[in-house]
Amino acid sequence: MPFVAPLALLGLAFIPLVVAFYMLKLHRDDAVVPSTLLWQRLLTDVEANAPWQRLRRSLLLLLQLLLVAILAFLAARPFVERPAGLAGDLVVVIDTSASMGATDVAPNRLEAAKVAVLEALRDLPGGGRVSVIAAAGSARVVSNGTTDLGRVRQAIASLTVSNAPGDLADGLRLASALAARASDAEVLVATDAALASTPDARVDAPVRVLRVGRDARNQAIVAVAVRTAPSAVTRSVFISVANLDLESAQRRVELWGDGILLEARDLFLEAQSRADVSIDDVPRAVGVVEVRLVAGGATASGGNGAAVAPDRLAADDQAWAIVPPDRLRRVLLVSDGDPYLHTALSYLPSSELYAVTPAEYGSATHPELFDLVIFEGKVPAELPKTAILAIAPAATSPLGEVSGTLKQPGIGSPDPDEPLLRYVDLSTVHVAEASRMTLPEWARMVIPGPSGSPLLYAGKRAGLPAAVLAFEPRRSDLPLQVAFPLLISNLAGELLGGSAGPEAAVAPGTPVSLPLPNGASGLRISRPDGTTADVLPATLGALSVTVDATDQLGVYTAVPIGLQPGPSGSPGSGSNPLPIASPTARPSSSPAGSARASAPPLDPDAPVRFAVDLFSVTESSIGPGSAATIEGLGHTRAGSPDPSASPGAGAGSTAVPTDRRPARDELWAPLLLIVLILLCIEWAVYERDGLRRIRRGIAARLPMPRRTT
Amino acid sequence: MEPTPTTSPSTRARPTAALVRPDLLPSELDPTVFDEAFLRQLERLKLLLRQPVRGGLKGGRRSVKRGRSVEFADYRDYVLGDDLRQLDWNVYARLEKLFVKLFIEEEDVTVNLIVDASASMAAGRPDKLLFAKRAAAALGYIGLASEDRVQLTVLGGRLARRRNGLRGSGRVFRLLGDLSSIVPAEGPSDLVAAARHAAAQLHGRGLVILISDLLDPGADRVIRELAATGSELVILHVLSPEEIDPLLEGDLRLVDMETGEGLEVTVDLATLDAYRTRLATWRENLADLAARRRATYLPVSSDLALADLVFAELRRRRVAG
Repeated sequence: MPFVAPLALLGLAFIPLVVAFYMLKLHRDDAVVPSTLLWQRLLTDVEANAPWQRLRRSLLLLLQLLLVAILAFLAARPFVERPAGLAGDLVVVIDTSASMGATDVAPNRLEAAKVAVLEALRDLPGGGRVSVIAAAGSARVVSNGTTDLGRVRQAIASLTVSNAPGDLADGLRLASALAARASDAEVLVATDAALASTPDARVDAPVRVLRVGRDARNQAIVAVAVRTAPSAVTRSVFISVANLDLESAQRRVELWGDGILLEARDLFLEAQSRADVSIDDVPRAVGVVEVRLVAGGATASGGNGAAVAPDRLAADDQAWAIVPPDRLRRVLLVSDGDPYLHTALSYLPSSELYAVTPAEYGSATHPELFDLVIFEGKVPAELPKTAILAIAPAATSPLGEVSGTLKQPGIGSPDPDEPLLRYVDLSTVHVAEASRMTLPEWARMVIPGPSGSPLLYAGKRAGLPAAVLAFEPRRSDLPLQVAFPLLISNLAGELLGGSAGPEAAVAPGTPVSLPLPNGASGLRISRPDGTTADVLPATLGALSVTVDATDQLGVYTAVPIGLQPGPSGSPGSGSNPLPIASPTARPSSSPAGSARASAPPLDPDAPVRFAVDLFSVTESSIGPGSAATIEGLGHTRAGSPDPSASPGAGAGSTAVPTDRRPARDELWAPLLLIVLILLCIEWAVYERDGLRRIRRGIAARLPMPRRTT
Repeated sequence: MEPTPTTSPSTRARPTAALVRPDLLPSELDPTVFDEAFLRQLERLKLLLRQPVRGGLKGGRRSVKRGRSVEFADYRDYVLGDDLRQLDWNVYARLEKLFVKLFIEEEDVTVNLIVDASASMAAGRPDKLLFAKRAAAALGYIGLASEDRVQLTVLGGRLARRRNGLRGSGRVFRLLGDLSSIVPAEGPSDLVAAARHAAAQLHGRGLVILISDLLDPGADRVIRELAATGSELVILHVLSPEEIDPLLEGDLRLVDMETGEGLEVTVDLATLDAYRTRLATWRENLADLAARRRATYLPVSSDLALADLVFAELRRRRVAG
């Protein structure tokens, strides 16, 4: 029998030592007795003057010699060999995406995948190297090319289910790169194969899939949105629930506002269908709404969110949304007076329009107190530190270089996914004259003009949103079209922003950029599990920080840290100079006028909240996919053994590559069991007196059975 | 044969309790001091014999001889030389024949108390020798109160040291003094030789009471030697509680207190069980031997109360009654 560590057999040298210990005379205490008459020849094995006779009868010695021999044998790590079923260089890709948290196999798919991988590793040839990749939203190597299976098991055990949507492509590409370094490599993928599409990856090694998961029973919240009612008094919550199962389901949607159950609706969901729920009259005081999907007919789950999981995946049964705060946005228009622009801006919801002429604009205007400053024509050399929209800049400014004038410029083909042009039809727009500008590096092209000259571009300059429209609206027929108010609304929407944090739900693992208030040294992020982390800006003077630890589902709160109390306020309040407001500012002209009157001013230092939700139909579709699809991504290199030839890959062929080392099965388990049994026996022999006393004590306490005559 | 006490309690001389009052006794007699109530109870007892004995002097025991007691035994024909006072004139008046009236002769008996004073008797808690002295004192007191002759013999070494015989309850102080003066022998003892020596000193048939632990390889020969004297033998086999149920445990070297020899043993539960089995077998063998020799064998523990020994054990074995 071969041994991994044959030198450990030297431990057998302890056997004579054990025997020697038994042959040594014991130190015995003297006990004076009246006579040794009755003690003589009682037990010959305890007499000291006959060591070999004593040894022959000592059961303890026999047990201890056996223990020493087996322990030496165990330390030498005996093993038996058998043909290896895996390549010598194995790359294990374990899917840790959200769908692997499904509980259709106990305790969940990821744990089942771990077990399957560990079971498969038994076919690893002796000395085989193993790399482990965790594949969720992105792939990462948790163990790289080690022959220590203990470390591999530890790395596998450390994997947890991620809430991020999974795409195996990244993991497979990484696995292919790792496999490329060895000639006899193989990729082992443990996944539920619940993929919407085939991963866009090609693996330069054979791929074998360990598929886990059984059924597709899952219903998910796939969208939650909060909208302010036209009255601006209450809000409505729109919820979209998808039944991704092949059978219909009865579910209940609960809406919680700041931990209080607001409403519950029962839903009957047909198979493979969606149902939308709109819940109105959410109170104004609610800051965070939480939507829970519970079992149909279930009672309210209480404030702690501990609901009975009605389906296989719990991660998509909860969703959160931040109610956008009532904010009164202030817009400063620096213009000589463009009635079209003025009219369009005055209809922006939740905004208050102020207007000054370029001559009146100056430091006394306090432009930094406005949320948006619009310059028409002349752009000052020193730009205010706020969002800026420049319209037809007459000369070169920090916002862009003006190199001339374009006469009747044609409008190019914009990006169809450009958010600023949503619902905006420019096909019938004609521009008489525009400034010839050059697209700066910080901006993206929104409306292309002739010869690469932009007619509208937008972006973030020095961390602040900015946009430049190269022509005056009144110098085109744009104001006469529906596209004009839509474009102005879209521009204002991007430049003003909904809130300091992202309004839409953030996908797990997605970095979030949050504005840094003036004077703050960083942000303290409170995660849904209660932990906090301080996020500092990458550079001094940065206006925003990026939070990338968004792997947990729930509500995150960012609080400024290191903030010094300083002057703040709104235009016209306190000692700040009152901006010269135009008498044309007409709050009452807005449909949301009543809201403006009571809307609190924006506090730039207030905590910022954002929600991280799964909202991935792909990830919620937990039905196990086809392993062959993923296995088809791999291919056998010339000279590499075919994985299908291995014993574990299928029943078709039993041929084993001759150059592959055999797998080893170490025999520690049965030996350890024998050692434990021997230890128990030795203990029982050593303590036999005590055991007998216990048995006699029990027998003495038990009542003697009475004889019946 | 049933024991045959021939003397009624009213005819016996009874020592007064004041004679053995504790405050009147020397301190060395303490081991044998009994309280008054116990003494009164002892006075009601008598050492029993299975059959009449041939004694020496006139005593309270029924003799095989015809004598002059008040208890009628038989008639026989008158022969020349008979005491005419023994003729039954009433019979002569009716039958006109001379008959002599015979009466039961009452004689004394010698109670031999043989106390083993070997070194092993000093062991135990309470020690066996103390128990032997107290038992001998009680039995001797009964004997003296019954007008028997009490002879104390002490075994030690290879010899049996015989003390002067005592008769009459008035000699109880002498008996107690003799018992108090017994000290354990030093060094090894040969119990067989000592017993043989004691047997050689016995005269006539009587009662022999051996009080010993019999911890000698020739314990059976001791019984044989004493039983061969023709006297009725009573063996009080005394062992201490530590010898009956040893409290030893672990790896020990057992030292014989007589010989000083050591024996290395590992005492565990199995060893103790084997010891108890061996002890029981040894006692059974001694009891069988005693039964074959018409002797009374009584195993006792040295922590046995003297009252229990005398009034329970000895009565049950019909040694006293």
